[in-house]
Amino acid sequence: MSEVKSLQMTGGAVSLGGHTIWRDATFTIEPGSITAVLGPNGAGKSTLLKMILGLVPLSEGSLEVLGESPHRGNRRVGYMAQTREADSVSTMTGRDYVGLGFDGPRFGWGRDKSKRDVVRQALNLTGTTTFADRPLHSLSGGQRQRIALAHTTVFRPELLLLDEPLAALDLAAQSEIVDLINLIRDTTGAAVIVVAHDLNPLSPIVDQVLWIARHQVRSGSVEQVVNEKALSDLYGHPIEIVVTPRGRRVIVGLEEEFAHPHPHGHDHSHEEGHEHFAEVYEEETR
Amino acid sequence: MSLSELLSTSFVQHAFYAVSAVALAAGAVGYFVVLRRQAFAAHAIGHVGFAGAAGAVLLGLSPIIGLLVFCLGAGLLIGFGGATLDDRDAVVGVTLTAALGLGVLFISLYSGYANATYSILFGQILGVTWADVGLVTALSAAVLLVISWTYRPLLYVSVDAQSAASRGLSTRWMSLLFMSLLAVTTVVAIQIVGVLLVFSLLVAPAAAAEVLTSRPLRAMFLAMGIALASAWIGLFLGVWLGGPVSFWITALASLAYLSARLGDNTRTRRVRRVVA
Repeated sequence: MSEVKSLQMTGGAVSLGGHTIWRDATFTIEPGSITAVLGPNGAGKSTLLKMILGLVPLSEGSLEVLGESPHRGNRRVGYMAQTREADSVSTMTGRDYVGLGFDGPRFGWGRDKSKRDVVRQALNLTGTTTFADRPLHSLSGGQRQRIALAHTTVFRPELLLLDEPLAALDLAAQSEIVDLINLIRDTTGAAVIVVAHDLNPLSPIVDQVLWIARHQVRSGSVEQVVNEKALSDLYGHPIEIVVTPRGRRVIVGLEEEFAHPHPHGHDHSHEEGHEHFAEVYEEETR
Repeated sequence: MSLSELLSTSFVQHAFYAVSAVALAAGAVGYFVVLRRQAFAAHAIGHVGFAGAAGAVLLGLSPIIGLLVFCLGAGLLIGFGGATLDDRDAVVGVTLTAALGLGVLFISLYSGYANATYSILFGQILGVTWADVGLVTALSAAVLLVISWTYRPLLYVSVDAQSAASRGLSTRWMSLLFMSLLAVTTVVAIQIVGVLLVFSLLVAPAAAAEVLTSRPLRAMFLAMGIALASAWIGLFLGVWLGGPVSFWITALASLAYLSARLGDNTRTRRVRRVVA
């Protein structure tokens, strides 16, 4: 049983519109582990999640998801998008939204009698029972994320893909969600892949890091990937890491990439890893 | 003629059956129109229908054939071209304008246009025949059948397209399916309330229902109920007091939405006071 990896990528590459986003990705993800995916905007973090869902094909290499090749509608994989239109506008209750996670993809007239109990369990697990009957748009950001996690786990996926679940949350809500992700992993035994732009809130629970930048994917433990040498190598210029007394890492030398999400300037040195940069880069090397 | 005699005449009977079928389909489809924020698309399809009906009249065909062809065409075009939210408004807008222009041309080419135009634009509920009733009922029943079969996936892609896509639902096919349902419903609703007032059955009842309840299935049935009540009472008032039936239906459906909003506002204010 434990022989089957949750994810196995061997020499994987992806291109969109003829441009290589990243290549030579080789890593495995163990069942029940938590993996943080980091890197600049546009480096291809969300694209990795879409590949796992079977929505974007590999251009090279191979990928096995829970021992199978990736395919659309895989019932064993759960995906939580970064923004969900339901959140801000929907008058639907959290309970109904979680219910859609259970039987939303199913056509037909029949009703699954187990639905009520399964939804109740998911609400209990995520601590959302008290506000599950309120409309989604009336909930706080942290409450919505908890409901969304219930929605994503209600059908018991073995691999969970979470795209920026901590974005736009205050620090208290961030640590609540991190605890909840840990709890979900412990209770369901699912492997979790979390895309994030900041490692610090996640570092207490993370087993492995994938850092995607400059068309490359680095993988390993936090210490192996998030150190000055490895990151300086990856970025091609010096990166400094300052560790605060409480153990938070401040990474110096990456700021420009976050400050300029639209790389239409002339100075390319700041723009490695951006999808747009791929165009510029390939034109120059042609 | 007394009221009871009026109500038992065949044209009122026809109207009663037709309006019931249309109201149920429009209420159900309308719930998804409101949920998907596609009122503009519904609006456009109605206006495209105007061109289709005018064209059919010009060719000496039944307007409903032109309506079906044009509305379905426009629905599929909007569903195909505007599957991504970003450019949907532009696709809808251009479709709408092009079709309206065609409609104006067809109408100007048709000599006896005043009557036909009027009934397309404002409905001709009291002029429906048994054949119309049969067609309208069959189409409405088909729409309701498809909605009941696809209810959950349709709801899923409507409130959270990305999660639905990650679970294997094709947002494009669901969008095309929904636009077809919307097109057919628009065609039958135009028979009753006309192109310009199609919103009264398609959007107002569903918008009211969405304000009144947070439970999706309940909201859809409530929308159907409000549409049906507006249609029945509107038909009755039109026969009893005179005035166009489509006016009465529109007035009642809008009133339902208005009272839902007012009731909701006072309710939230009361809740806030309790909380404070």
